[in-house]
Amino acid sequence: MDAIKENRVEPDARQVLLVGDTTLDPLARLLERNPSQPKLQCTAAPYGQVFQILLDASHSVWSSNPELMVVWTAANLSLPSFAKLLHFEFESASVEFDEALREAEQLADAIVRASSRVGLVLVPTWILPTYERWIQTLAWRHRIGVANFLAKANLMLAEKFAGQKNIVLLDASYWQASLARSAFDLRMFAVAKILYSHNLFEKAATEMRSVIRGSLGLTKKVVVCDLDNTLWGGVVGDDGPQNIKLGAPDPLGECFQAFQSALKGLRSRGILLTICSKNDEKLALSVIEEHPAMILRKGDFVGWRINWKDKAENLIALAEELNLGLDSFVFLDDSPQERDQVRQLLSQVYVPDLPASPSEYAPFLASLDCFETPNLGKEDFERTEMYRAERERKETLDVSGDVENWLGSLQIKVSVAPLRRESLPRAAQLLNKTNQFNLTLRRLDEKSFWDWAEDPANSIYTFNVSDRFGDFGLVGLSSISVTGPDAQITDFVMSCRVMGKKVEEALLGYTVEQAKASGAAHIIAPPVDGPRNGPAKDFFAGKFADADGASIDPSRVSIPPHISLKEEI
Amino acid sequence: MEELTSILTEIRAGQDYAGADNFFKEGLLDSLDMTALVASLESRYNVFLDVDEIVPENLCSLKAIKTLLVRKGVSL
Repeated sequence: MDAIKENRVEPDARQVLLVGDTTLDPLARLLERNPSQPKLQCTAAPYGQVFQILLDASHSVWSSNPELMVVWTAANLSLPSFAKLLHFEFESASVEFDEALREAEQLADAIVRASSRVGLVLVPTWILPTYERWIQTLAWRHRIGVANFLAKANLMLAEKFAGQKNIVLLDASYWQASLARSAFDLRMFAVAKILYSHNLFEKAATEMRSVIRGSLGLTKKVVVCDLDNTLWGGVVGDDGPQNIKLGAPDPLGECFQAFQSALKGLRSRGILLTICSKNDEKLALSVIEEHPAMILRKGDFVGWRINWKDKAENLIALAEELNLGLDSFVFLDDSPQERDQVRQLLSQVYVPDLPASPSEYAPFLASLDCFETPNLGKEDFERTEMYRAERERKETLDVSGDVENWLGSLQIKVSVAPLRRESLPRAAQLLNKTNQFNLTLRRLDEKSFWDWAEDPANSIYTFNVSDRFGDFGLVGLSSISVTGPDAQITDFVMSCRVMGKKVEEALLGYTVEQAKASGAAHIIAPPVDGPRNGPAKDFFAGKFADADGASIDPSRVSIPPHISLKEEI
Repeated sequence: MEELTSILTEIRAGQDYAGADNFFKEGLLDSLDMTALVASLESRYNVFLDVDEIVPENLCSLKAIKTLLVRKGVSL
């Protein structure tokens, strides 16, 4: 292949290394040529050196210091015994089968070894080479068949990678199945050792970008739904609650119900659901609570704006209420006019075009690739519950009126612990997803964050917060790095879920105490300017010894009396 | 021709395809772009290019691509 080798370095791009037994340059192109974030710069390693590259850290391809790696091999090329099995070149099928499995294990071990050099590894599973004809009666036979082998080998990969949080096994058989055209292109294999068709590469690039976005926290968090002709068929204000189309036996009603089920699935994995509808609030809420075919009920939504106001205005109000940026919102509405208006006024909001037919709503939602999450933790499953408790807390505030009394009545408890293996996934998620209350906006993957904490000069603290309404989970973290008499607050991050309760005062109070205990005479917290981290900068501005400095004045820092803080060592 | 230009622009934008005699020699496209071009032409015009047809001579200019497609029975 005489592809142009462009040795350009883009400082703000993430370096990706592609390792394979065939030419992966087309994938590199597709991953790079996409205007959406993150920017990727790909190096396709010379094909056919998979083991050498994985095992030898001094191989020249590592000089680009990749942050991400894709290892995409074909079983019949990288596992010699599998190729023999495929072509019946053996004396004993079971011996060859076992040998192929051993070769597969060696490759898996090599991937695990190389995974310590990068933040994230993507490994597409092995797929059946559909351009080969094999005997169907044998394909699934135990210790003989090729389909049997690939299933077993892929399961083995999943088991080997189970303990490695930074290796993601991608389901290439799903990519293959989703293509109407062939996944393989043997002409291009002859011309340029490119085994996979352009269509498969396109599918792979889309899926990989989505996984990468998820691992960097660049995903959507909130879905805003319209009601009439979006969650149900018809206009409830005109047709009446009895006549809207929702649920069996009406075919259209079944489509809307399927769409609600798909939304419920998103809610179950931590995506927040909200409503923005031009309707009578009382009537609409009564349908949501009482219609027998509703899948989504009031408790599934963390907020709503059901009124006759402009939708853009309502979206801004929802974002303020949830303390989340509009760039984490997805707006679903059947009306092209409403979509257009939101698109024009709030360009940060993702406004996909709902298909014209409601039968396409559910599959369309499933096809959106903006909700990818690298890991699912307790917080994701319980997020809706936590936001609901927050709504109740605010209602208490409205009743009691006085903020100090209200804060005291919350009985806030903060429990602090050093960063632990168990808390690492959530801590890294918090570090990478928090935009507002984040002083330095440092972004690190789990491994790098852990490695940083291993340095004896550095400490990371995690904060769990609860009050009488419920448990917020791990919502704060801070870190300090001590050099001689100086301590620097390297990270200070707090989830917007606990903003407005003076929890940040407690977090800083504890962090400063730790810095002092380490012998530091001078504590600095230089802020980093970001587009949305005003809340964190404003808070620290009140803690500095002088207006333009970054030195903390310890006399301005204390743990508020309404918060009880406990150390878990 | 306009359709061909738009296919090429999707592969690599901002190039003067109409004014070029040889996309590859003049640096408008490289060989990887050629593989993408083959995939686009095949899906747009429902044709199949054989291995010996996937050569720069058949794909190096608007005129060459047109000649190739006409030979494959496409009416442009």
